Amino acid sequence: MALTKVYDAATVFKHLNGIINVYKPAGIKVKHVRNAILSNICKGLNELEQREPRRLPKSRLLLGTGTAADTVLHKIAKDTDLSDHILAAGPRYMPDDIRCAAVASLGRHTSGVLLLGLNNGLKQSSLIQRNRPVRVYHVTARMGTATENHLPDSHVTVRANNRHVTAERISGLASSMQASHQRKMYELCGVDLQTQAAYELACKGLLRPADNSQPVVYGIKLIHFERPHFTLELHTINESEQYMAALVHDMAIELRTVAHCSQLRCIRHAHFDVTDSLLRHGWHLPGIVRNMRQQRDVLEAHPQLLEQQRVDLHAAPQ
Amino acid sequence: MLCSWVRNISKIQKTTKCYQIGEQLRYLRTPNRVHSEVIVPAAEKITRHEKSTENRLTEQNQNQRDVAFDFGSREAHVPTFNLAAHVNNSNTLQQLLSLGVDLHSIERRKGLGQFVLRLDFEQNVKPYLTFLADNGVSPDDFGQMITKNPLLFKEDLDDLQTRVTYLKSKRFSNEALQRIFTKNPYWLMFSTRRVDRRLGYFQKEFHLSGHDLRLLATKEPRLITYKMEHLRKSVFTLREEMGFSAKELQSLIVRKPRLMMIPPDELVERFSYVHNDMGISHAQIIQCPELLASREFRLRERHEFLKLLGRAQYDCQKDLYISPSEIVQGNNFYFVRNVAKSDLQTFDLFLKTR
Repeated sequence: MALTKVYDAATVFKHLNGIINVYKPAGIKVKHVRNAILSNICKGLNELEQREPRRLPKSRLLLGTGTAADTVLHKIAKDTDLSDHILAAGPRYMPDDIRCAAVASLGRHTSGVLLLGLNNGLKQSSLIQRNRPVRVYHVTARMGTATENHLPDSHVTVRANNRHVTAERISGLASSMQASHQRKMYELCGVDLQTQAAYELACKGLLRPADNSQPVVYGIKLIHFERPHFTLELHTINESEQYMAALVHDMAIELRTVAHCSQLRCIRHAHFDVTDSLLRHGWHLPGIVRNMRQQRDVLEAHPQLLEQQRVDLHAAPQ
Repeated sequence: MLCSWVRNISKIQKTTKCYQIGEQLRYLRTPNRVHSEVIVPAAEKITRHEKSTENRLTEQNQNQRDVAFDFGSREAHVPTFNLAAHVNNSNTLQQLLSLGVDLHSIERRKGLGQFVLRLDFEQNVKPYLTFLADNGVSPDDFGQMITKNPLLFKEDLDDLQTRVTYLKSKRFSNEALQRIFTKNPYWLMFSTRRVDRRLGYFQKEFHLSGHDLRLLATKEPRLITYKMEHLRKSVFTLREEMGFSAKELQSLIVRKPRLMMIPPDELVERFSYVHNDMGISHAQIIQCPELLASREFRLRERHEFLKLLGRAQYDCQKDLYISPSEIVQGNNFYFVRNVAKSDLQTFDLFLKTR
């Protein structure tokens, strides 16, 4: 399909349906990202060619005096409906006109991939959300100090030595935690790990939670270690910032030290990668439209994102 | 259908606050109505309006067949929610529109919609426009000025003349006055005494000379009419929390008056990043106050990128000096190519690691 240049706001707005992949900076809320994007879209749309004001209906009552100086007659001669003028009725596009929702939210301290559905893309975004795709995080922890909510900007509560911690010990702990999380998943399904039922369940693919209440961790891996910082790669579903911070805190306690999260970064959400996410200086209309096209290609390459056979993970009846 | 329509209107009137503009509209329409044959019995409409809803409904039911759809008369008693509804009927609004006044942003502020609707172009607006034109304001800026401050038409013309004369007596040049009125349409609303007090405050607080004070007021006219409480807080922040001396503060304020209008908490954050993390001294900050005028995330991104490249060197005594004012200049592309001497891909990759 050939690409053509568009100068008309209405055409752009008509095609503004889909998913965009935005790089959320750390330190601001998702709400603010959303507002910034929507207002930038509207600014861009309002700078394009606009619709002319409406014509007045022909059969209007002549209420004027009928003299040459009468403005009513002049106006009818011109025949434009001034109440539809941009200065009177307000800008043609306003942030409220665009529907927008995040596929899954990120916390304030988290940076990285944030998927936003725009207009008709809301359908796709809710389908993706219902499929509960895995998100991959890089979580950097700083050993030596614990903070009140395990995140960098709160009060320091405990300090501890961390000389005895080595990369081997961290990765050993990470793999044992991964194993116990996986075992817990099968237990939640109500099957024993050493049975045929468990094997068949595993054959069907990833066990996914049925609702978005319980966080599930699929993989924990140490990818970088440089005292006092270490970085973990987490594969999770339904996680929250607090959950991951608490996980890091618990790991550090196991390692006989304390730690807090210094950075949380989402690098992948399903097949939407951080490499083609839109940075803050690209949050303008052309950038957003280009990004939307890229994400559509991703969706076409992976149709299972929208429709998926899957095994639901229910909490077993007690 | 008409029934439900009337019911909806009565509901709206009960629940929402809407302009009671019947009166003004009648006033607007009177000149038109004088010679016209299709006079709407306005008085009757209004009395009907005041009856209870049930009464009105039954009456409407009876009259449903008698009254043809007359859209001209409908407007007389239906509440309106914005000024756009009156533009086609009001000469004043049309004139304002042709001046480029944004009626939509006026009506969003409380009470201003009604005020603008009551204006008469020849009597209330024209004298003020000629007054402004006499004082050197270009007609292109009228729209923007009225959009910002339509209440200017409420002031007395003699008062306005006094205020201009006062400024002239303080040796503000004509260009300065033009800039002041265009950039800050609220200035003319302030009485001479109040403006004098404000100017006196700045002069005393920072020991400014007359020339510097005029420069300050012309550079950022909004500062003079800014909230006093906020200004006091800002001055406290600059002097006590950041520790600028009186001399430093004076040059900082004259170079970048906008710093005083930034929320003090944000200003302190920026300062602490610039001073503590980037290691830029007070003297250097005075040299380029733009550092404090730039948002913190922007400083942080750029400084950390330079640090990564090993180019964060702000000491002019040494080699590879990068001037702090260059850091905040231009967009990211300009910065990456001309200051960091790198390419945008690297910068993007760097931004995605944080």
